Amino acid sequence: MKLKQSIKMAWSAILSNKMRSFLTMLGIIIGVMAVTLLISLVQGATGRITDSMSDLGANNLVVTITDYSKKLTYTELKRLEDREGVDLVSPSVTGRITAIADGNSVTADLYGITPAYETVQGLDIETGRGISEFDIEESLSVCVIGPGVAKDLFGTTEVLAHKIRINSREYRIVGVLEEEDSTMMGMTNDSIYIPLTNAQRLLKQTAMTSFYVYAQDENELSTAQESTKAFLYEKFRDEDSYTVLNMSNIVDMIDQVLGTMELMLAGIAAISLLVGGIGIMNIMLVSVTERTREIGIRKAIGAQRSDITIQFLIESVFISLIGGIIGMGISQLILTILNHLFTDYHFVISLSVAGLALGFSIGIGVIFGIYPANRAASLKPINALRYE
Amino acid sequence: MIELKNITKVYSLGDEEVRALDGISLEIEDREFVAIVGASGSGKSTLMNMIGCLDSPDDGEYYIDGQDVSHMSERELAIMRNRKIGFIFQQFNLLPKLTAYENVELPLIYQGVPAKERDVRVREALEQVGLAGRMGHRPNQLSGGQQQRVAVARALATHPSLILADEPTGNLDSKSTKDIMGLLYEVHRQGNTIVLITHDNEIAAAAERQVRIMDGRVISDVRNGGERA
Repeated sequence: MKLKQSIKMAWSAILSNKMRSFLTMLGIIIGVMAVTLLISLVQGATGRITDSMSDLGANNLVVTITDYSKKLTYTELKRLEDREGVDLVSPSVTGRITAIADGNSVTADLYGITPAYETVQGLDIETGRGISEFDIEESLSVCVIGPGVAKDLFGTTEVLAHKIRINSREYRIVGVLEEEDSTMMGMTNDSIYIPLTNAQRLLKQTAMTSFYVYAQDENELSTAQESTKAFLYEKFRDEDSYTVLNMSNIVDMIDQVLGTMELMLAGIAAISLLVGGIGIMNIMLVSVTERTREIGIRKAIGAQRSDITIQFLIESVFISLIGGIIGMGISQLILTILNHLFTDYHFVISLSVAGLALGFSIGIGVIFGIYPANRAASLKPINALRYE
Repeated sequence: MIELKNITKVYSLGDEEVRALDGISLEIEDREFVAIVGASGSGKSTLMNMIGCLDSPDDGEYYIDGQDVSHMSERELAIMRNRKIGFIFQQFNLLPKLTAYENVELPLIYQGVPAKERDVRVREALEQVGLAGRMGHRPNQLSGGQQQRVAVARALATHPSLILADEPTGNLDSKSTKDIMGLLYEVHRQGNTIVLITHDNEIAAAAERQVRIMDGRVISDVRNGGERA
């Protein structure tokens, strides 16, 4: 018998009992919805987290000195830049201060920086200059300010050579930053930058507790990491007094954790798919019993075993596949709504997830349909015809 | 032509053995109209299952058009039922969710007849039984007599060697009974072989040959008026 006829028969059997077919599908609908929704949500979140992590830099190391009794001066640290793989070392200290000028005052973030900071953080100078090595060596009281600070204090950004007071010390303005869009790094508008050595005294943070090490490029990151570790060990002779973290290691770690989570969630959701499959088998078995007479008639007038098997198998695959498509439609709908609500995220059902879900639906239809279908096909026509 | 040689079928009910068919031999020529008559428990239903290829004998041989049926596989039996035999049952046995047209079409679908030819044969068969105007009706929209006519059309559609009617009028009122019997004579006159199984002597008397069964054996085989078309 041709497949087209089997499909027609299966389809009319599904339509002839719509409520039951729908309830049977419901198990698959919920299962597929759970699987696709959870995987897509985790994938969306993972993408967002790793994106923002790698924004922080895929080519830098974060060094933290945990033992405060160990001292490292800026001059000593500069020598790390000569080591293999290392491009720049960027130490900084931060604090929250109040700046006064022209009778106005403003509270701002203060950064004690070195020239490297300007390069690696991408500070753009509008007028004047940045912090120089000379400023640091001499611990000069000079500052570079964001345009927001300039406007708050002076009402203009034309403020070169003006003075501002921080903690009763006078700082000469040597540079003003470009206005930044108030996006990710928009805080530069309202920040004040002074030489690292000066800031250490001002903020009374003489110990260098953390700094960034930048590799020449991403491929040199592990070399730079080794160099940094060797450098610190030579200095301190104690591996426990510092940590060197590689950003890409962290990203990888988070990726791995989220990947495991995705698998676990998918596994849990897959259980509901299994339950849906058992539901299909259950209903198909009932249906075979109910249709015993029909099967007997079909066999009496010449249906082969295979005709009956295929008819019932197609029925269960249809139920399961339609359930899968509906389930995926619903989860796509939910994701679309979520995308509108949380514009930072981008949730999609990836092609592989869609393929997997549909493949699973078909597989479940076959696996849980084959037993009832075989049972139907193996009914003896004389017994089936006698069945009331 | 069909030929049964020494057919035996034994059922065991617990310890007891029931010889439903006890060495039955029977020959039915093409274009014959044979009534197989017997009381309930005589073995006529088992015989019908045997002739209809719904069951296999324990012993003996059975040939349809020279083909040995007694040793056929399940698959081959299904093919024999489909091509050689047209069933008419007491309970009509139409599929309730299919229309008259679709019911008649079904055996042709299983036979793999192409759609165009199917359509021709289904219409032809339904016209033959006088239901050309009821093709789109479901069984529950038809009277008992009409349902049995659909079943006759279904049996005719495959152009079988043998039409096997098992108490075809058992569920019908007397008017419909006359109606269906008339139809069967008509079908016979058109050149079909008919085996009618019944317990009703009156109906059996109308056939050109009567075979009586008792305790799984043939006890008489009489030709009415000796004619043999």
